[in-house]
Amino acid sequence: MYVFLHILKVIVIIVLILFVVTFGVYIFNLDMKLTAAIYPWLQKHYDKIDRDQHL
Amino acid sequence: MAKEIGADRLGDFYKDGSLVRKRREWRGLVDTMYDYSKWLGIMLTLGKFVAKPRNVKAMFRYRWMSNYLAVPMMVDRHTQGLRGEYLRICHTEQDLVIKDVANLLDSLFRGDRRIGNDKKFSDKVVLVDENEMTAVMMGFPDLKVLSRETPSTYVSVLLNQYAACHYIDVAQEYGLAGDVCPMPEAEAGVSIDDDAPILGACAIQCNTTCDGSLLGNGVISQRLEHEDNIPVFQLAAPLRHKEDDVQEYAAQEIRNAIAFVEKHTGHKWNWDAYFECAKRVNYATKCRQEWLEMNRTPYPQVFGSNLALYTETNYMAICGRVPAFEKADKTITKLARAAYAKKKMAAKEYRHRAIVWGVQSHYYMDFLVWLLNCWGIVPLTDMLSMVSTKEIAEVDTPKNREQAYYDMAWLTENMIMRNRTHGGYKVLLDELWEFVEMFNADMVILWEHMSCKALDGMHGLFEEKAREKGIPLVWVSHDLFDPRIISRQGVRDQINSFMRTVMQEEPIDPSLEVLPDEKSW
Amino acid sequence: MKDLKNLIFFENLLLEANNELVQKAQAGGKICVAYTCENTPEPLLNLPGCFSARLRAPRTGSLDISTYYMTSFLCEYSRALLERAIEGGFNFADCIITPDGCSMINRCIENMEVLKALGKDKKNFFFEYMEVPMKADDNGLNLYVLQCKNHILKPLSESYGIDVSDAAIRKAVTEHNHVCELIRAIGEFRKEDNPRITGYEFSVITLATYVAPKYLLIEKLEETLKELQTREPDEKQNYRARVLVVGSEMDDTDFIKLIENSGAYVCADRYCYGSLPGRNPIILNDEEDALTQICRAYMNRGECPRFMNTQKMDHRREYVNELAKEYKADGIIYEQMKFCDPWAYEKMMGSTILRNKYGYPVLAVDRPYSIGISGQMQTRVQAFVESIEIKKIQRGNVNG
Repeated sequence: MYVFLHILKVIVIIVLILFVVTFGVYIFNLDMKLTAAIYPWLQKHYDKIDRDQHL
Repeated sequence: MAKEIGADRLGDFYKDGSLVRKRREWRGLVDTMYDYSKWLGIMLTLGKFVAKPRNVKAMFRYRWMSNYLAVPMMVDRHTQGLRGEYLRICHTEQDLVIKDVANLLDSLFRGDRRIGNDKKFSDKVVLVDENEMTAVMMGFPDLKVLSRETPSTYVSVLLNQYAACHYIDVAQEYGLAGDVCPMPEAEAGVSIDDDAPILGACAIQCNTTCDGSLLGNGVISQRLEHEDNIPVFQLAAPLRHKEDDVQEYAAQEIRNAIAFVEKHTGHKWNWDAYFECAKRVNYATKCRQEWLEMNRTPYPQVFGSNLALYTETNYMAICGRVPAFEKADKTITKLARAAYAKKKMAAKEYRHRAIVWGVQSHYYMDFLVWLLNCWGIVPLTDMLSMVSTKEIAEVDTPKNREQAYYDMAWLTENMIMRNRTHGGYKVLLDELWEFVEMFNADMVILWEHMSCKALDGMHGLFEEKAREKGIPLVWVSHDLFDPRIISRQGVRDQINSFMRTVMQEEPIDPSLEVLPDEKSW
Repeated sequence: MKDLKNLIFFENLLLEANNELVQKAQAGGKICVAYTCENTPEPLLNLPGCFSARLRAPRTGSLDISTYYMTSFLCEYSRALLERAIEGGFNFADCIITPDGCSMINRCIENMEVLKALGKDKKNFFFEYMEVPMKADDNGLNLYVLQCKNHILKPLSESYGIDVSDAAIRKAVTEHNHVCELIRAIGEFRKEDNPRITGYEFSVITLATYVAPKYLLIEKLEETLKELQTREPDEKQNYRARVLVVGSEMDDTDFIKLIENSGAYVCADRYCYGSLPGRNPIILNDEEDALTQICRAYMNRGECPRFMNTQKMDHRREYVNELAKEYKADGIIYEQMKFCDPWAYEKMMGSTILRNKYGYPVLAVDRPYSIGISGQMQTRVQAFVESIEIKKIQRGNVNG
């Protein structure tokens, strides 16, 4: 019983932490802020690719 | 931060010079948790997508893929200020469209000779145009109908306002005039820039909306046929689609297109699959009609971008072929009925009932939400959502099999936008005023897509009719895919000055009047 | 060279849409069928009792009113036509037949219809819009035939009692072909190393055959051909390069004059209103009805960019190559009227393919409807001529 409650407690804590973290990411738009930081770097990468550009 | 509709100053979420917004909205506990759960769902969809190495490879190969970093933000833009059923309707649609586009991308890269190079899969792929009615593929359930232009340009611009600019510039570097419609121009630019996946047993192009679209296809087919060895069938749908004497020709084009697909894929047309799809097409039409019917009342429910974006996807790109959209139709209708029964409103105040006509700015699709939140203008319906409401034959009989060719032809002729830009002035000019009356609208917002010749060509007559009818008409100029010509603020300013000077009104949410979103996705 | 005897006569026909011969034909009881697109089969508009006049707006000035109706983003040809119609300049026409060739011309005519800018005091006046095929195949041919029946022959017969029988159509084709043969024979002189006709003169004569009743032109055309057979060209060549002009609608002979004044000889005309392929005779057999054969001829020969099948698209560039060879062009000028969508694309494709695949020097320009004397355009053509000359010199050096 104790083991079960312990596991349940751990699960609840993990879920809670996950919720707090993901909700924080969600409400503060951190996902978009991260991708916004990646975006300019990607553009530079695309500029470097050799392309068979023609009609 | 409030539960009530209209309690937030939505303009405060924007940050000058930033690609993204400061934070997401607090919509009250229930709605915020709902939105959060949907956000998690989107993250899951994206996570599943990037879990496949070939998709990551594609991310680093195709420039337009970087726009998909902005998927959650697109949803945020369209859900601005929404609560309750409206929020749920928006998510039902957007999340499904996101899943559908993720599937499309995954399939494209699976067959792409540069990325997944799955030859067996590629042999089952039929490429279609971005702006093409896929009715002709309703009887090929085992084939994959993929559009390269949808993810590379169409969806990309919804995600990032500047997404098409690079490709527009490429096409112009090769001598294309700067005054053509930037949509086919960008699509041609993708082809010229060698930035389109290469796959497929064959392709069907169509003379969709305009001369530019028709000619842009010529650039793409040059590479497809002469270099990639992918045979192309050009489906020529009649322009004067209202005339009886073009329908036999149109039906024969469909027969020829089907024969072409059968020849190049080895797959046979399946009537059972066709009539299954036809039932779903009719169901979608019925639902859309019910929503439009509600929009005629003082309590419209499915309107603005909730109506426009979903109709574009469901009517044309899906065309009954994906059962999940039928389920979405049901959910949306249920939500709309519930909200209607409770006489719910999507904003705290409805000041004007507007018909939005013309070709809307693609880089500012959330303009319709802005209209509602900033000025209380309810965009009851828009030109692109006013498509065919004709019921097509859905029971498999010998007579209906023959009728089916005419039905597919009819749908193809009446693609979104095309059903208004072609077919004579009556469908563009006269029907607008019929809809104004039908929806009891007191205002017309007329998008003037500056390089859309079919629309521009009716400019003066629109104005004359508006004067004759005594309906305020606001011109909103834009350049469809290119915000460098007219920015989002430039678009808003046209409404702002009209509302302040002509209508002598003050905004409901003044924080939205001028937004620092010049650099934003 | 000695001036052509009838050149002023032909030039005068181009000064007004309602020119001397249009008036003469109408005074003789003929019905004037106005049209605006090369995809309208001309012989069907020239049946006994009627004649065709392709609409243009010579000496166009302000486009203010038409710009109000259609904005400044539509091509100037469509705006100039609407402006002229609103001014009452096309009221001589007894009907107008137009295909949805392009969106702009379609809107132009629709504006005319809604604004009631045509057909004043003409009780039988009608507007007819046609669907013409975008591909050359059997299905397209069936459509073409049906559309010609419903939107040309039927209204002409019902409104004006025009004889639309097979015999009448064949007669019209015979007359059409005679004019085509005369134009082609006159055009043949352009192949000479030291041509006895200028590109400008030829463009004036050709253009006249589109805007005036053909049967009233035949005598002058025959006379001109005869005159040319003995005309002595200048001893010294006046041109530094031979160019083929390809492109969109062009009824502005000043553009050809400008090119020739800049040192290039316009040896061939592959543009809408030109003779290639616009003045190809239509060869009829006796087995099949004339209407079907006319439609097939128009569909197969059509070089308009609205034709969308790959074979047709490829042929557009192959045809330019063939013409360049046949008429010994040193270079190609692709012209496009500003805001013309179809030719914006075709100019890009054609100029790139002709340059890269076929190896021609190519100049791609966009132009207004009425060019007048444009210094900018002159400079571009002069530079192009110089570049051709330099290439010739370089080639000469390499060859030894």
